[in-house]
Amino acid sequence: MNQQQSQYVIVGGSAAGMAAAHAIREKDPRGKITVLSAEPDAPYFRPLIPFLVAGKKTPAEMAMTGCGPYTGKNIVIQTRARVASVDTTACCVVMEDGTRHGYKKILFATGSRPYVPPDIEGTDAEGVFALRTLVDAREMAARRERTTHAVMLGGGLLNLKAAFALLEKGVRVTLVVYSPEVLSQLMEPEDATLIRRALDKAGLSIMTGVAATGIIADASGVTAVALDNGDTLACQMVCIGKGVRPNVEFLAGSDVAVDGGIVADRYTGASLPDTYTAGDVAVTYEPVTGAPIMTALWTNAVEMGRCAGLNMAGVKTVYTGTFGILNATQVADEPFVSMGVVHTTGKDCEIYQKATSSTFRKLVFDANGTRLIGAVLVGDITNAGLYRYVIREKMDVARFKRPLIDHTLHYGHFMR
Amino acid sequence: MSQPKEIFVKTDRCMGCRSCINACAVEHSVSKSLFGAIAENPRPKSRLYVEWVSPDNKVPLVCRHCEDAPCMYACISGAIRRDADGVVRTDTDKCIGCWTCVMVCPYGVIGRHLEEHKAVRCDRCPDRDVPACVNACPTGALVYQTVPAYSGAVRQHASRELLKAEGG
Amino acid sequence: MAFSDKILEKSIDPTVHQMLDRAEQLGIETVWDRYEKMLPECAFGELGVCCRNCNMGPCRISPFEDEGPQRGICGATADIIVARNLIRMIAGGAAAHSDHGRDLAHTLLLTAEGKSGGYAIKDEAKLAALAAEYGIATEGRGKDAIALELAKAVYAEFGKQEGFLQFTRRAPQKRVDQWQKMGIDPRGIDREIVEIMHRTHIGVDNDPVNLILQGLKASIADGWGGSMVATELSDVLFGTPEPVRSEANLGVLKEDHVNIVAHGHEPVLSEMILAAAGDPGLVAKAEAAGAKGINVVGMCCTGNEIIMRHGIPLAGNFMQQELAIITGAVDAMIVDVQCIMPALGDLCECFHTKFISTSYKAKFPGAVHMQFNEENALAIAKEIVGAAVENYGHRVPEKVFIPKEKTACMVGFSAEAIIKALGGTLDPLLDAIKSGAIKGIAGVVGCNNPKIKHDEGHVELVRELIRNDVLVVNTGCNAIATAKVGLMLPEAAEEAGDGLKGVCQALGIPPVLHMGSCVDISRILSVCAAVANALGVDISDLPVAGAAPEWMSEKAVSIGAYVVSSGIFTVLGTVPPVLGSAVVTEVLTKAANDVVGAAFAVETDPVQGARLMIAHMDKKRQALGI
Repeated sequence: MNQQQSQYVIVGGSAAGMAAAHAIREKDPRGKITVLSAEPDAPYFRPLIPFLVAGKKTPAEMAMTGCGPYTGKNIVIQTRARVASVDTTACCVVMEDGTRHGYKKILFATGSRPYVPPDIEGTDAEGVFALRTLVDAREMAARRERTTHAVMLGGGLLNLKAAFALLEKGVRVTLVVYSPEVLSQLMEPEDATLIRRALDKAGLSIMTGVAATGIIADASGVTAVALDNGDTLACQMVCIGKGVRPNVEFLAGSDVAVDGGIVADRYTGASLPDTYTAGDVAVTYEPVTGAPIMTALWTNAVEMGRCAGLNMAGVKTVYTGTFGILNATQVADEPFVSMGVVHTTGKDCEIYQKATSSTFRKLVFDANGTRLIGAVLVGDITNAGLYRYVIREKMDVARFKRPLIDHTLHYGHFMR
Repeated sequence: MSQPKEIFVKTDRCMGCRSCINACAVEHSVSKSLFGAIAENPRPKSRLYVEWVSPDNKVPLVCRHCEDAPCMYACISGAIRRDADGVVRTDTDKCIGCWTCVMVCPYGVIGRHLEEHKAVRCDRCPDRDVPACVNACPTGALVYQTVPAYSGAVRQHASRELLKAEGG
Repeated sequence: MAFSDKILEKSIDPTVHQMLDRAEQLGIETVWDRYEKMLPECAFGELGVCCRNCNMGPCRISPFEDEGPQRGICGATADIIVARNLIRMIAGGAAAHSDHGRDLAHTLLLTAEGKSGGYAIKDEAKLAALAAEYGIATEGRGKDAIALELAKAVYAEFGKQEGFLQFTRRAPQKRVDQWQKMGIDPRGIDREIVEIMHRTHIGVDNDPVNLILQGLKASIADGWGGSMVATELSDVLFGTPEPVRSEANLGVLKEDHVNIVAHGHEPVLSEMILAAAGDPGLVAKAEAAGAKGINVVGMCCTGNEIIMRHGIPLAGNFMQQELAIITGAVDAMIVDVQCIMPALGDLCECFHTKFISTSYKAKFPGAVHMQFNEENALAIAKEIVGAAVENYGHRVPEKVFIPKEKTACMVGFSAEAIIKALGGTLDPLLDAIKSGAIKGIAGVVGCNNPKIKHDEGHVELVRELIRNDVLVVNTGCNAIATAKVGLMLPEAAEEAGDGLKGVCQALGIPPVLHMGSCVDISRILSVCAAVANALGVDISDLPVAGAAPEWMSEKAVSIGAYVVSSGIFTVLGTVPPVLGSAVVTEVLTKAANDVVGAAFAVETDPVQGARLMIAHMDKKRQALGI
């Protein structure tokens, strides 16, 4: 039987997979590495795809290979290579076309896909998107030409990015958010005041506390969205941003332990020898609480993928876990950072909040006030990395609590 | 490749005069002269910082071009890479100003150029033999040396004074 | 109400806590924020080793011998640069005080000529006494004729080329002899300042000790010259202060009145503002606008001048000038010269407050300039007060927040008032010193400085002194700090040691005597001279000491220099920019003892500073055999 064979097989060609491949290459200059990506495009920086919608970057400008730390040599990347199943006994993967690819070590980094709520009718209509891949972005960009009004379902970061991409191109955008405020995953409603003000000012229409019930379409595709408040919004495009679900279906029937996602140990190992997992699909743990967690963040995926790559290459490396919330970005000229425990309603913790006309910060400490467990910085994100470090290293903040609270913390406070 | 040089900081030598900050901003200006730089718009931005710790410690902070460079791996646009000289540099054309690097840098030495909406960080002055900040330091608080040469010098001085070597 | 530690550690004054909290809520920057943004402060400047006196540089000397330049481009060492910089600070301070004195001489001259618009000679006894000092005949002459001759004689002191300054001869003969021996008996006031600028020019005086001697000489021209002129002529024109009761702190602002803050230094302006504020027409206008009246309050040394002559309440000291505006209740901040932060302009933009500058010498961004002159003084003052009254209607009630705190105080202890309190003679004071009931006298003066917790340096030092039976006489921001905590009340004698307590209770005076504004440190010199003369010794023999716990200005450097030059050991609470030179440091802290019989000490802990002063007094008492 015709079977390809690689020392390292990496299933998934995005952040975790590529980071792993290049980490392996740093430690093992010779072992054959094959990355199997289901997408038709060569690996690219996924967070950049709104720029394609906005017409500000071409796919070539988003390619990963050769960019940043992704400069390893001799990494075979197969695109349109979707893995149908894994035969862990025979140590090979089975592709959709039935061909097999043997491995010595394998990484499952299959990522996640958008969640499309089944209770919204008509989501299969033309012009309904869940922006995830370059393919989605291309289609969205094409549809954009015929769109004067787009409705975004969900008030998360990805939808905001897509919304701004469309706004920049002159498309009117309405954000329909079921939560009481945008970015509800990243901060509590009142913490988002400044951002909301900036979004409103930027020209985004935002409806909160409203859900879509159905999408109305004709031959030209989507024509309107029906809302649970009885309103109907005429539009030519709908973008669904309701979170993601891990791609684990290919493991059905295998012995690899799946509990929501693929269960990882502290060394990024999956449940069988020589199997590893990283990225959106992996179940890892939260460093502050130790609780199992799945995240869908590029930065986390790279970090975990890199760790997995080192372990696969024989450099035993512990994965220190990840925050469920770890975001920095800028929307509507308002930079913000949100990390760690930021939803504090009803929780036993010590909170410092400070709002000025142009900045907001919220610092969350544990109940005895000795450890920082979460932080939201809006408007001024200076030295946000130090806050992340303090949270992650569970540092005793006694020596520098004041500058920490006042947001005057700098590295000098850690010295001596 | 010969052993690369690093910028080391002797905090006990820092006068807090900020000469390094001025020199850095000038080096990263268009005109590369002080009198030109202060007239430029946007103003050139320094990539190092001089902070203060009670009671009276002056602390220069500069990018260490970390071995594991969290900024480089965290970057969502592939703008940060390590060059052959070991220096971690940000490609401003690729930088989209998402500030993820700012969020992960544990030293707080990546700045935000607000007018240009780009992250800025030490690039070790690729056009110079000695980085501008080191050249400008009037007391030798910033030292440009290879690791073995610097630690040798530190050992020699150790009997005379306590040197706090930061860097690398 | 609870405040953050960040706020609490800025000051000991509860009004400051409230106003800083308010500022934070409003997103307003204050002097403390700007100080924090300045950190770290440049150590070359801290050490005094940077020189910009010529354009070959700027130069700076590395304090580390193995690294960096050890000489300026001209060859100047750290010793030379530090000495030059130090005496340039003295020149600045002496110039400020002396120009203040000159303005008073000018006012007296115009008044004597009948050309001033609203001033009169209030203290004829003092006029006669000063005339006698200057050898001006008084027999059968009218006060204007005497005043004219005195004004001209005093005016001439500034530009005098040879000879001595008349007031220096108030000092004991031994002191004058020592000054002459060291070549630091000053000639004309302006001349000594000019000579500093000459000597510190590139390539002139490059001997650090010689430079410092000239600094001392100019400072004596300030303390026994310009400052003393300011004090004495102010008394002639506006009356010599006598004990009066009033109140101090931001709580003196009134929500239902037109509030005018008079800020700065020279009484020439503030006296007229007071007169104008009493104008029935303006009061009626204020009432028509809905106010209950016009409330003039003082700030900084202007505050000291008007509280001690008129009992006008004091709103606060240097660090509180911005806070007064943040109350949102100040309808006009009227300023003349010195210690007025240029930050006030931007700050007033955030409120309705009208920031009115009045001196052609001192203009500010964001201020409305209403040029004041003596010829039309009252008329202009009425215009200025009128502008404040008019502005009352622009007050934004939601922005008004006035702290409640204000403290009663008894102020106005001029040298004459002290003697009067003693029953007309110094003897009871001398006896108390001899008996040990009073261990000594401390002059505590100076500014505020964000490097030190606001007022803590002042108050802690003074408290430690009075606890140890040291009678405190004070001026400037120190006086205001102690007034605010109640130390300027006779009842405060309870806080004093038993000896001092007894003296205070017997005389009905506070243990801390308010002697006025910063030029009024000359009053302290006059008292010391009088005590020394009464005992037949030099000032440097007396159990007296000086302190400037929170000093920051060039004026304070000049003050420190003339106080030490007068033979008084002086403790500085913030480090002067001289440590870059071992020679200058040595001269100031040790060798000065051989030159002028006194030296400086630097002690940032106020209680320790007080102890140094007490130890010095003990030493002097022992030497005197008392």
